Amino acid sequence: MNYDLVICGVGGQGVLSIAWVIDHAAVEAGFQLKQPEVHGMAQRGGAVSAFVRISDAPIASDLIPDAAASMVLSVEPMESLRYVKMLRPDGWIVTDVTPLKNVATYPDTAKLFDVLFSVPRLIAVDAGALAHKAGTVKAHNVVMLGAAASLLPVPAALIEKHLRALFADKGERIVAANIDAFRMGDAAGRFTAALVAGGAPQGVVARVVPRLVFEPRTVPASVTAAWLERLRAPDANVAAARIFASTETLTLDACLTALSG
Amino acid sequence: MSERILLGDEAVALGAIDAGISAAYAYPGTPSTEIFETIRRHAASASPPIRGLWSTNEKVALEEGVGVSYAGKRALVSMKHVGLNVAADPFMNVALAGAHGGLVLAVADDPSMHSSQNEQDSRFFADFAQVPCLEPADQQECYAFTREAFDLSEKLQVPVLLRLVTRLAHSRARVTLSPPRAQNEARYVADPSTYTLIPSNAKRAYGRLLDKQAALVDYAERHPANALTLRGETCPGILVSGVAWNYLQEALGPRLEQYNVLRIGVYPLPVQKIRQLLDASTEVWLVEEGYPFIERYVSALGLMREPPIKGKLTGHLPRSGELTPDVLRRSFGLPVGESLQIPGLDDVLVGRPPRLCEACPHDDAYIAIKEAIADMGNDVRVMGDIGCYALGYLKPHQAIHSCLCMGASIGMAIGAAHAGMNPALCVIGDSTFTHSGMAPLLDAARENTNIKVFILDNSIVAMTGGQPTMATDEQVVDLVAGLGVPRERIRVVSPVPQKKAENVRIIRDEIARPGLAVIIARRACVTYAKVIKEHRRERKATPA
Repeated sequence: MNYDLVICGVGGQGVLSIAWVIDHAAVEAGFQLKQPEVHGMAQRGGAVSAFVRISDAPIASDLIPDAAASMVLSVEPMESLRYVKMLRPDGWIVTDVTPLKNVATYPDTAKLFDVLFSVPRLIAVDAGALAHKAGTVKAHNVVMLGAAASLLPVPAALIEKHLRALFADKGERIVAANIDAFRMGDAAGRFTAALVAGGAPQGVVARVVPRLVFEPRTVPASVTAAWLERLRAPDANVAAARIFASTETLTLDACLTALSG
Repeated sequence: MSERILLGDEAVALGAIDAGISAAYAYPGTPSTEIFETIRRHAASASPPIRGLWSTNEKVALEEGVGVSYAGKRALVSMKHVGLNVAADPFMNVALAGAHGGLVLAVADDPSMHSSQNEQDSRFFADFAQVPCLEPADQQECYAFTREAFDLSEKLQVPVLLRLVTRLAHSRARVTLSPPRAQNEARYVADPSTYTLIPSNAKRAYGRLLDKQAALVDYAERHPANALTLRGETCPGILVSGVAWNYLQEALGPRLEQYNVLRIGVYPLPVQKIRQLLDASTEVWLVEEGYPFIERYVSALGLMREPPIKGKLTGHLPRSGELTPDVLRRSFGLPVGESLQIPGLDDVLVGRPPRLCEACPHDDAYIAIKEAIADMGNDVRVMGDIGCYALGYLKPHQAIHSCLCMGASIGMAIGAAHAGMNPALCVIGDSTFTHSGMAPLLDAARENTNIKVFILDNSIVAMTGGQPTMATDEQVVDLVAGLGVPRERIRVVSPVPQKKAENVRIIRDEIARPGLAVIIARRACVTYAKVIKEHRRERKATPA
């Protein structure tokens, strides 16, 4: 088993913290690990990345070769596209949809999302909304870690254990909020993967999921089934575009009603 | 035996602690900073506690380390590659004097210049000084080689250089630690001639250094990290060093078994083993991270072509930038992987260079400087320096016109003024000023050179992650005055938006008056506000 992961975002978004948690979870699960990251000048609001290489055999190179990564996990939508050269053809992009526009040349967001949402294996969530609901607005990165968790070769329970360790000195309230943020992200990730696996059009799923508010637990199979039925309908893409454009967040039930309305 | 997940830098730090160091010295610089930061975190728990305070610059750090060695104890001195330029004087000379207690320099090179102004290769420095160089390939070797470097230093009485590169310094992996060793007892150098390099002594000291060379080569020849694998007389060969070995394994995979391979991890070069590789191979690839250091020796600057050498000098590998598995695959003529294709990607992806933080004091300093010189024509130049404020070169400010090396801004402004530049302006941060800006300012004060020096005092070493600065606030004023700048030409301004007009007026006034002036833009870094408060508390607790 070899699993290569690119984690990326902008300096200050907590990219290196996510890497730290995955590192410790992977090693506790018995894997070998190599994990290079960017320090120094780039951390001043520039593009930041960490590469995580997990294997059950010794790993030679710290760097990930092109087209070897199974996932790009990003805390910012444009940044998720920066490392596509490293992504396998069957790889996943897991990203927050909140643009961080600290450059004047930032692309038109409608165009950006059109390109991003065409990615065949994509989990897109609004990490800010979920972090806010979890009670810790800083936890975009932890929500994104959750969104990726079901695809990683590391048990979620071990990730949670090391999340607790990361925030241990900040007090139990912050720990609990981050665990909630992680679980909401996990629910969003699993829900997205289930919809895509069930045959819902990827472009439709990508536009709806970022507007959903998840609970810190897995979405029940019955709810997923109802969603699948609706999203397979021919007009679902129109409704999904409308819901994404509104930027309003909805519960799963409310959104299903809106999709049908 | 315990296992940890460690950056290469952290593995070096723990290796040094477990090797029984009594002190460590450093000046922050990417990618070496985390070595000393890790030592600082563990300093108090060592027995007796390890002394761990940042040094003023790398030269001072190394001299402090030499002093520890002189007294018989072990010291680790760490720095980035260009830091060794600053420390070159003590480095070249302590090679002659030798080490008494173990003395190891951990130097982190930055191929591809991720956070540096050049990609110089520190192996040349070790070679220049004729001291051994250990080049770990992975994090476990970072730990093991650091420990070994102290043994070697004490055994052969030489300082040892440990060469790291960014991708090792800043990459994590599992590292197994071994039981720590006790620190040395103090045991001063007995013979005062050893470290007193007046010519008569220096000649003997150089003789001793030359006499050690055979033992050093022998050490390298026998070292298991310099591993020769010969597979047959009709095979091509590869000579590979350091982290390049990792990329080579990734790039060639099982194809590696078709090559004779010599790995290098310990220098001076094991000449016998290299001879064996050359004799046995139809051609030899030179694969090394950094400059073509080994290649220059092996190919006699490219003059020696029998058997053919393929490397950076011959154009078979790229001459600049770091190696990667894909770079090597291309060089060896192998296909690289086809990644996911996303139509339209290039239209929606732009660069995101680093920038000054929101509400950064440097922003306001640059706004004021730019406005003050706005009506002086387009020919005004501002010499810049190393630190976050080097980002003032980029948009939106585009306010500085040079950035050469630590402290160069002031010296360059002096020279430019001598050449007729007026106004001759320069900016330098508080930590860069104490690192190597004070000496050129003394020059300017001595002559009352017509330059205006802006010291951007943000109370911290910000770019490398918030290390304490040597002097801030009134200490900077006192230093500047102590160097001979008249108090009335030292202007302290507060770079905040609401004081812009006043600051612009002060800058214009000082530019209009001939002679040396120092304008200190004093406001604490916003990003490290909390850390600065901690540093202030620490300063009060331990007064000078």
